[in-house]
Parts: sequence; C-alpha cells; structure tokens
Amino acid sequence: MPKKVEKLHSTLMKKGIPGIECTQWHNSIKLEGELGNWQDIITAGKIATKFGYKGVVNEIKLRGFKEPEIKAPKIKDNAIDNRRPDVVIIGGGVIGCSIAREMSKYDLDILVLEKESDVAMHASSRNDGMIHPGIASHTNTLRGKMNVKGNAMYTKLCQELDIPFERYGNFILFDDKKIAYGAGALFAYRAKHYGIEMEYCNREKLVELEPNLTDKAVAGYSFPSAGVLSPYKLTVALAENAVENGVEFSLDTIVTSMHKLHGEIVSVQTNRGKIYPKAVINAAGTFSDCVADMAEDKFFTIHPRKGEIVILDKKKGPDVTRSMGLVSPEMLYSTSKGGGVMRTIDNNVLVGPDAYEQPLREDFSTHRENIQAVLNKHLKLIKTFEPSDAITYFAGIRACTYEEEFVIERSEYVKNLIHAAGIQSPGLASAPAIAEEICKITVNALSECMQVIPNSKFNPNRRRVPHLDKLSFDEKQKVIKENPDYGVIVCRCEEISRGEIIDAVNSALPATSVDAIKRRVRPGMGRCQGGFCAPLVTNIICEQTGLTPEQITKCGGDSNLLFEKTPKGGASK
Amino acid sequence: MKQRYRVCVLGGGPAGLAAAVSAANEGAQVLIIEREAKLGGILKQCIHDGFGLIRFGQRLTGPEYAEREIKEMLGSKVDYITSSFVTNVKRISDGGFELEIQSANGMMKVQSDTLVIACGCREKTSRQVFIHGDRPAGIYSAGTAQYFVNIMGYMPTKRCVILGSGDIGMIMARRLTLEGAEVEGVYEIKDTPAGLARNVAQCLDDFDIPLHLSTTVTRVIGDKRVEAIEVAKVDKNFCPIENTKRIIPCDSLILSVGLLPENEIAQKLDIEIDFATKGAYVDQCFMTNVPGVFSCGNALHVNDLADYVSESGELAGKYAANFRPSQRDIVKIEYDSKDFLYVVPQYYDVTQGGELSLYFRSKTDCKDRKVYLDFDDDTVLDKKYKRLLPSEMEAVKVKPKKKVTSATLRMGDFK
Repeated sequence: MPKKVEKLHSTLMKKGIPGIECTQWHNSIKLEGELGNWQDIITAGKIATKFGYKGVVNEIKLRGFKEPEIKAPKIKDNAIDNRRPDVVIIGGGVIGCSIAREMSKYDLDILVLEKESDVAMHASSRNDGMIHPGIASHTNTLRGKMNVKGNAMYTKLCQELDIPFERYGNFILFDDKKIAYGAGALFAYRAKHYGIEMEYCNREKLVELEPNLTDKAVAGYSFPSAGVLSPYKLTVALAENAVENGVEFSLDTIVTSMHKLHGEIVSVQTNRGKIYPKAVINAAGTFSDCVADMAEDKFFTIHPRKGEIVILDKKKGPDVTRSMGLVSPEMLYSTSKGGGVMRTIDNNVLVGPDAYEQPLREDFSTHRENIQAVLNKHLKLIKTFEPSDAITYFAGIRACTYEEEFVIERSEYVKNLIHAAGIQSPGLASAPAIAEEICKITVNALSECMQVIPNSKFNPNRRRVPHLDKLSFDEKQKVIKENPDYGVIVCRCEEISRGEIIDAVNSALPATSVDAIKRRVRPGMGRCQGGFCAPLVTNIICEQTGLTPEQITKCGGDSNLLFEKTPKGGASK
Repeated sequence: MKQRYRVCVLGGGPAGLAAAVSAANEGAQVLIIEREAKLGGILKQCIHDGFGLIRFGQRLTGPEYAEREIKEMLGSKVDYITSSFVTNVKRISDGGFELEIQSANGMMKVQSDTLVIACGCREKTSRQVFIHGDRPAGIYSAGTAQYFVNIMGYMPTKRCVILGSGDIGMIMARRLTLEGAEVEGVYEIKDTPAGLARNVAQCLDDFDIPLHLSTTVTRVIGDKRVEAIEVAKVDKNFCPIENTKRIIPCDSLILSVGLLPENEIAQKLDIEIDFATKGAYVDQCFMTNVPGVFSCGNALHVNDLADYVSESGELAGKYAANFRPSQRDIVKIEYDSKDFLYVVPQYYDVTQGGELSLYFRSKTDCKDRKVYLDFDDDTVLDKKYKRLLPSEMEAVKVKPKKKVTSATLRMGDFK
C-alpha cells in the first residue's frame, strides 16, 4: 500500500471509521466497505479529500440500505436511434441548457438528453434563484471563480433571454458585533481576491435599508452585486433559445449505458435508441458521477445534500427588498451559508433552505420537522413574517462532491467526454461562466476530429412574448387589442392570462403538462396553489394540443391528473 | 356600460347577485364585475340539492339556486360583465373609487361611488395544513375535485382518502361514491365533524363511508401519482401518535380543510381584516373601515348556507345604494374568544342606527348554553341553545331602543 493510502487508512481508523479499504485509482482515491450510518460515510469521504488526490470515489455502502433505482421514463422507442450528433449533452438542468445555448453559437449538431418530461425538473427548479455575489467561496476555487464571472454575465444574458433579473444585493448579518468585525477581515480578503464589491453596515444602516429587520441583526455586510431571478424561467429560456438556434432536445430520454473503444465513447444507449456522438458532455446533476461511471471515468462522487425551502405569500414580498441571512461564526468557513430570507423575482418570500446529508438523489419529499425548523430559524429575522404566511414548501438536492468543488474539465482518460459535474451552490450563479468554459473545452476537443465554425445564424435573443404583469395600463391595452387572449385572466392569484399560457404551450420547447406551464408562466404558484386554475389550464393544453383531459399530466410520465370520463347516468352500485 | 356607477359589485356569485339586485331596487345604477366566464360563483358546480330552503322555501340544486338569482338580476336594472378581472382599485378625489378592469375587450376604467366586495372564498391547500411527504399528482382540494367531476365530467380518482370533514369534503365523498369511486374514509383531525350534521348523515352515513375523528394525514407517498396515504390518530394537541400510523393504498388525497375569504382586492384599499373571520371588519350595514366599501357573503366570513350568503349580499347592496358619507360613531361588539369563534358584524355604528343582525359561531361544541347580548347595562337579548357547534352558524337580531355606547355578546349556562 502506498504511504499516502496507508496514512488515510490509519486516519480513518483514528476517527472511529474502521474497516474501510482504500485504493488509489488513477490519481484518485477509492473508499470501499460498509458502515452503519450515513454521516460516517460522509465523514470518511471528507477525510479522504485531505490527502491530495484529484478526487474521492466513495463506494462505502450503507448497511441495510439499497439505493433505489434511478427514476426512469417508461417510454421505449427509437425516436433518436442511430443519430450521429456532434455533441450530446446529458442533463437538461440549468447547466445542460446553458451549455446547449452557448454551443449553439457554433455550427454543430447538438442533442440534449433529459430523463424527465421537461427541463429544470431537479435542482434547477428547486433552489432559491439567488445569483450569489461569490463571497461565500474560498479563494482560488472554481466555485468562486465561476460564481463571480457568472454573476457579472447575468445582466446581459437576461436581457437577451427576456427574463426578469434584479440585482438587489444581499446582506450577511450577525447578531454579535465582534463576530461581524472578525468576519469582515475574511470577507475583505475574499472580496479583494475576486473583485467583489462590499460594504459594512451598522445597525442603523441595516434598518435604513431593511426597515422590517428585527433587532436580531446588529451588524452586517452588504454585497450589491447579488441578484435574483427565476431559476426555472431561466432554464426554460436557455433551452428555448437553444432550440431557436438549432439545438434538439430529447425529453423522457435516459442514458442507460455507454460503449467505449480505444479510450473514446463510441455510442450512448438510451431508452429511445442508440446514438453515436462525437463528444459527450456530462451535466447530469446528482447523477453526474453515475454518468462518469458509465464511461469508466468516475473520479469523484456525488453525495446528495438536501435542502427544504418555505414560500410565503406575495403579500409579504414588499416587506423585504433583498436576500439576507444571519450567519454564525462556524458557518463562515462551511460549505453552506445556512439559508435566510429573500424576496423572489416574483415578489414572494423564500425562507431557508436548510442543508442535510442523506443518501437519496431524487427524493424531493418534505418533512414537518425540517420545515418547522426553517421557519423557527429565519422568520424571526423580519418583524412582519408569520408562519401562516407560508403558502407552500419544497425540497431540492445539491449535487455535491466530497471536494465541495465543481468538476469542469475534459476527462483525462476518455477523449471525448467533458464533465460539468458536482455543480452545487452557487451553480445557478455560475451557470453562464461554466457554459462558456465547457463550450471552449468541447470546441477544442471537437477540433481534433472536425472543423468547428461559428453559427452565422445564431440569434442571442429569445422570441419575445408579452409579460402582462410588467406592462402599464396602456401597454396592456395594446397587446390585448392585438390578441384578446391576453385579456382573459385564468390564474386569479398570479393574474396570468390565457394568452400567456397559450404562448407557453406553443413555445420552442412546448409545455404540455400543468407543472411545465406553471414553471413558465406561474399559474398555480399563488396562494390557491392551482385549486382554481389547474382545471382551466388543463383545458387550454387540450385545446392547443388536441390531447384529451385524461392524457394531461401534472409533470409527465404517469402523473395523469384524471381518469376516464364519469360514467353516463352515474355508476351502478 | 357607464363610466360611473353608484354601486360596483365585485363578484357575481350568490352574494354579489343579491347585492346588485337590492341596490338596483333602491334605485342605484349597479355594475357586477365577474372574473369567471359565467355568473353564479361556486354554485355552478354544486349540483347537489339543499340550497334555498330559507330563501325560497324549496330544496334547490346549486345551479338552480344560481339561476333564480341570475334571472332576478336580469330583470333588474343591473349591468354586468363577465371574464373581467379587477386588476387595481383606488380611491379618487371625489370620495369614490376607480377600478381598472382587464378583459378580452381590453383594459377599462370604471368609477363608482361605492363598492361591494363579494369575491367569495377559496379553499385552504394541502400546504396550508402542512401536509408533507411526496408531491405527486392526485392531491386535490374538494372544490377542484368537484369541478373535475361536475363541470368537466372526468373522474379525478378511483380510490381516495378525504382529509377534513368540511361540507364540501363530505358532499364530494357522496358524489364520488355515486360516480363509482371508492372513498376509503373521511379523516378529521378534530374530535367533531367540521361540517353540518345533516351532511354527516346524508353524505357519509347513508353511503357507509367511515368518518375517522381525531385522525389526520401524516404523509403522502407516491412518485408521479399518489400511491398511498399515511394516517395517524392525534392526541389532544393534534400531534400524531406514532404507533397508530397506518398506510392506506389509494390514488388521491382530497382535502376539505377549510375555506378562506378572498380579500386581496380589499387589501389594496387598506381594509382591515379580522383575524378571526379572515374577512373585513364591518358594522351592521356591512360597511368596512373604509367608508363606501361594503363586504358580504363568504368574502366577509365563511357561511354554512348559500341562503345566508344571499341575505348578507342583499343587506350590503341596500346599504351601499343608500350610502351617504357621514361621521361614524362606532361601538365594538365585544366577546370572549374563549366562548366564540367569531362574531359578525364586529361593530355597531350608532349614527346609522337600525337593526343589528348578529352572526356568531361558538368556539367549542357545547350543550345547554345561553347567549346574551348586553347594550351598556341592559341585557337586550338572551337566548337558549340546546347545543352550539363551531360548524353551525347562529344568527340573532335586535334593535336597540336607546343610544348604545358599549355592546357585549356573552355566553352562560342554563338549567
């Protein structure tokens, strides 16, 4: 056993984690064995990162736990069989869609594979939409670099994609002045390193900027470059613009295996046929290590870190202007910032998230205790917030590596594989920068076997449709005169018109499920949670697509809303 | 359509229709603004009978009841617009109001001397009662399930669990059973049914649908569609008891866990909302704290019967038509929140005078109680009740004989 491996082994023993087999694999370290508790497995993986390896491959099993199979689409057909795209992107989250759109600037045949029925179904629709300033990242990390660069790109990107973005700043708050001063040194160091604007705020300044802050916060720092947007609107807009520029999306498509020859992926097997791409981009989120494994290039491991978030009624939106969280000293150096409260781009308030390690990659269930804890922890920050303001809550899963670092690189051992993996927070803020980097790497890789030329027809601007809530009385008058459907309100809570829903159904990436419509134009996001509008939205989808009501799903697959028609004359009993 | 009305009624359900007709009968020019495509409000989908016993002395279905109200409105001098949504409302300098209305015809502005808010209520969602677990298809509020069955003609379930014994929940238990679905049971976290006793008998007992009291849903299980529901008995503090957890395979969870008055428009006018009713504070004329703005029906407080909804609309419409700005001399109607869930109206305006129709709900299920109303030192009303239930609204009427300076509703034992 090499010395380093031996040392790791004995360190694990000392920390009370015995029986772990450690082996070096390429430049990475692989852990194997079985443990009785998940936290020990996480701890073992974390310890292994301290030994200077490229990555930790943590294969330690949890005793008595069998990882559930990946939730796969039921469809089996040959829709994409025999296709030979230049680039295949695995994963239609914000990373996959950002890359797709970025790569559509080149004259390439690009195919995005997404196992769900729509884009943005996992972490990309299950986060707070914050465009972080970058201050939470250690210096000299990819996370920090991509975050700061990505943040700066959003103003232009959102203009091109025609989605709302607000650079409203954030506060990191403290309940103790001394700790605040101490943290100031750390922030100043990072801010200087990355070029992040910051300002110290005493209690008076904080209250001046956020009058509803309770006296919990005594001092803090303001980071004006922080922003907010709708993460699912962004992902959809990226995908739509990519489609407008020639990218093809194959939804309900799961990669099941890969075939390699001479250190290169030759074919990718899916439930909808076998394809033969020139390059493969791994943007598979919490499953990115599984995809790497299919190509025998698993040099990192995803440990799913779950978080739960509460949404408050829009009525409370005006009570805060930005994003803010109270930070304790131990959180300063940790991988997660402990959540907080923030106003969303749609004027709701988000509370949370929390962060906890657990073994499931796609369990989005919420738990009473966690939601309660989130409310207890953060509601006290703002005078006017009440638990009864909660309209809904949700969970998301962060795709974290043990290194707590992004993996953005061309594979060292598989020539035509490029990883955009381990993209956890601040993945959303970093997405445009990651896409640029991955695009550069991929174009370089492709240039080894083909000539890559720019797409002369590339149009960065997504098709414009009216957003009625942003229009003045006279502007609304004008669009309704042109199309009366914009005058008919379907969702009473969010005031969404029939016309906007029809636009979503007929967009470049058609939305044909109730949740897909909800992510694009918000009916059902409000306080009635779709009680009134879900049937109306169902009817509009039917009318626009020719589907019948029992075919309409909540979110694809077998999530049909309705069974058959009611029996004529009632059922006989 | 006119540019200015005496009374604008927001909502064309039973409250709004009655308000419009009574205002028109007082000689006012009236406009009803309805956001849905058709008038009638939620009655349109309530195809069961039992409506109109008080108002028409007949058992009508919801659509029949609505039709009568609509016919009467059409016979009065009332303007109405449908598929029209009030996007904004503000006070104007002459004391009236200006509404911005969005419809397929475009945007328009209408002015009115007075407003009657008759927007009804909405259902509490699964999230508002903190249902946890997965979030698949198949979780519906009872009203949504009712829309699917009665309006669209599609079955939202084949086998379901119903949480909450509100009236719509019990009515849907019967309705779904009649349409061939299996209702595994109705579960109620409290130890008494939330809806009317007659619905327990006619909707559940008659169809052998079990009602499980002191039991709630603790978890939803299912990836794409509901696959099962976990229920558990609760203790006195409504906390689930671990060893009573039980998993019920089913395809839907239907919720009837309460209704909330819709007052988003009212809040744009800074109308004060009573925490107990979730509706506006009003005086005996149904006028809110904002002079010229009236509230009625389920937007004011959630009623048991459409008949009461119409009655309050009728009164609100009449008062709105006759509204004259004046000094208000308001007396708060005091009550002990240990005895009463709420009391409506919450105020008596001495300047307006006249009769006081008081609606109340008891806080708990209690027997052999007496309810008193005191004006200053005089007990002007005492009424015996064999039983009082939170689920059954009670109404009393009094006309003060002298100037009132304080008013208190209280409860005591009798025997």
